[in-house]
Amino acid sequence: MKTKLQIPELTWWRVFLLAVLGMGLYSTYVRFVHGLGASTALRDSFPWGLWIGFDVLCGVALAAGGFTVSAMVYVFHSERFKPIIRPTILTAFLGYLLVIVGLMFDLGQPWSIWHAIIMWNPHSVMFEVAWCVMLYTTVLALEFSPMLFERLGWKVAYETVHRLTVPLVILGVLLSMLHQSSLGSLFLILPGKLYPLWYSPFLPIFFFISALGLGCAMTIFESFLSYRAFRKKLEIDLLADLGKIMAVPLALYLLLKFLDLRARGVLHLAFEPTYEGRMFLLEIMVGVVTPLILLLFRKVRYDEFGIFVTACMVVFGTVMNRLNVATTGLEGYAGQYFPSWTELSVTAMIITAGFVLFGLAVKFLRVFPAEELRPEAEQLPELPVVTALRPLTRPALLVLVVAGVVTLAGSGLAYSALNVHLFGTKAATQPAKPDITRGVANFDVPDVEFVSSKDSPGKVTFRHGSHVDLEKPACAECHTGRFSMLNASKQVRTGVDMHDAQHCGACHDGKKSFNAKEDCASCHGN
Amino acid sequence: MSVQRSQPRKAVLLDTTRCVGCGACYQACQEQNEQVHPSSDYLKEDLDARTFTVVNNRGGRYVRRMCMHCEVPTCVSVCPVAALEKTALGPVVYHREKCIGCRYCMQACPFGVPRYEWTSAFPYVRKCTMCAPRLAKGLATACATVCPSGATAFGDRDEMIREAQKRIKAEPERYFNHVYGIKEIGGTSVLVISDVSPDRLGLPTKLGQEPLPELTWNVLEKIPTAVACGGVLLSGIWWITNRREEVAKAEGKKKH
Repeated sequence: MKTKLQIPELTWWRVFLLAVLGMGLYSTYVRFVHGLGASTALRDSFPWGLWIGFDVLCGVALAAGGFTVSAMVYVFHSERFKPIIRPTILTAFLGYLLVIVGLMFDLGQPWSIWHAIIMWNPHSVMFEVAWCVMLYTTVLALEFSPMLFERLGWKVAYETVHRLTVPLVILGVLLSMLHQSSLGSLFLILPGKLYPLWYSPFLPIFFFISALGLGCAMTIFESFLSYRAFRKKLEIDLLADLGKIMAVPLALYLLLKFLDLRARGVLHLAFEPTYEGRMFLLEIMVGVVTPLILLLFRKVRYDEFGIFVTACMVVFGTVMNRLNVATTGLEGYAGQYFPSWTELSVTAMIITAGFVLFGLAVKFLRVFPAEELRPEAEQLPELPVVTALRPLTRPALLVLVVAGVVTLAGSGLAYSALNVHLFGTKAATQPAKPDITRGVANFDVPDVEFVSSKDSPGKVTFRHGSHVDLEKPACAECHTGRFSMLNASKQVRTGVDMHDAQHCGACHDGKKSFNAKEDCASCHGN
Repeated sequence: MSVQRSQPRKAVLLDTTRCVGCGACYQACQEQNEQVHPSSDYLKEDLDARTFTVVNNRGGRYVRRMCMHCEVPTCVSVCPVAALEKTALGPVVYHREKCIGCRYCMQACPFGVPRYEWTSAFPYVRKCTMCAPRLAKGLATACATVCPSGATAFGDRDEMIREAQKRIKAEPERYFNHVYGIKEIGGTSVLVISDVSPDRLGLPTKLGQEPLPELTWNVLEKIPTAVACGGVLLSGIWWITNRREEVAKAEGKKKH
């Protein structure tokens, strides 16, 4: 039998991957050649969009599994969660790397990203954010490095980092606490801009608590997906416990959010049929209330698909919360924003890169113990998420479809509300004609005395009073270029023929006004 | 203090009742900042990366729009790399060589002033500089120099406040009795008087008198304490759980 040339099979998913990559690369070209105006729907009144709202805010939030689980294992000594610590660290590390990639697209001067190291402004939340990104990425790299050292067989390096685990974890938890909350603090400076359902003096606390819930949710999410993709068994007991733990921050979040809204007297806004109201309800119902109800049932917690769907809802709700704070909540102030396809495709490329890198890491590093991996995982060519979703059972699909329809209907409602909200009330009013009588009374512009040459028929004085239409004193009509306004002196320089088309002759040409070269007495001697 | 006394804060006073909408301020601004723009643009709605001031028709009066040069500027406080600076004379200036392009200043400015070079691949922030280079030479701002009707005046901030109050006192029936910018969000270096209340000029009026940077500083100043407490707490928990485990191990060994 002849050996066939190995050409990678062209599957539907590979085509999809290539398409995402292709569009992403094209958008990258548009961004770095034609600028942010050409590649985004951003504008002066809406300077932050999807790349900040999703790539950065959600990227950081979705990495929360890293510090949540490592704190449980190393600080609280819940050794039973140890089997899932490596994948969560990996996810967090990849998450932070991709946040930095996202920032490279969004920053105007990407190569100056390091400036915060030497140019300090401790009064800026963004300064804190910058330092958290730098430090926590370093910590995550160190926490991740044993997986690499192990593979490379660098025993000394492995041992060294291994010994540092506890201090690293504590540092990582502290930095995460600061970072998660500081992303909320970023918006504290926007009172009057951010919609009251989201603006709160407790934004940093809300961001932190929701990150804790999301940390658990992401751990369940990736455990389930990696189980579907390449592992023999799922630690359902662990996930059920994680679900229980997750209920604590979710319930706390709901309670604090309720108290905060009530204390500020804006609770009613959540139930008003506005765009913001609907989006807020959707976020809370899908991301907090429904998961809390689901988690009450033991059946749901101990069902692999039940706990997965619950985690998905928390992930969706938190992502929606971050996007609402970063974009939806500002639309009332700054006008509608919807990301351009280039913004969307860059984000899609970054997310896909995350999944691909995770798959590669599982393949080449010991993210999961080897004995846990399925034999066929060795030759796993696909995106793990694809393999993960393939064997979904029928009822599961049904749930997904229903959830999808509900979400679509919800956002549809939200958008119709938006139309009423933004466009229904707009009445075109003709601006009244300004009353300038008062200004005219003060209108005082100097006369300009021209220096006469020897053979001049008489002295010439330019009087603004006889040249300016007080009803519409359009100074700029003459004061451009040659008739400089700033450098004007009361005496015009000598030795210049003022009759030509560059000077008086520009208007005194016999058409617009009398001809400067004919009616001498009109100007000279007056 | 002696430095401040020898260089008193400067301010621009805008009096909308005197503005005739001629656009001289716009034209001078363009000249000063070496921008090239069609001259009839001064009445356009909004600022942009090459337009640092415009004259808007707001309900029957001309209102100039420009950077307010806050006394405690939000943009200066939010910039992570200190690319924005409040100078001693009053202008809030921008150091482009420091800027990383995060646009937090644009997001945070309560007056929505900073503009971005959206058409550039690696853009910078642009805004009115209150003619800082002219001020350094002892000159007035370009816009105040050319204003023919006294709608834009320039001088020491204290003097401009007195002038504004004097104008209102002299003709109380002509003015709305309030000088915008003395106290608003900590005060501004651009003061506004008009025949109507400031909210009808498009100025934010619900932000109070506390400078906005206080809102984030209240949180930021707690960080060192939070880190210290968190560090001690986490280490403590680790120590307790670790010890408990060691004890359990030791006891387990004894039994065997």
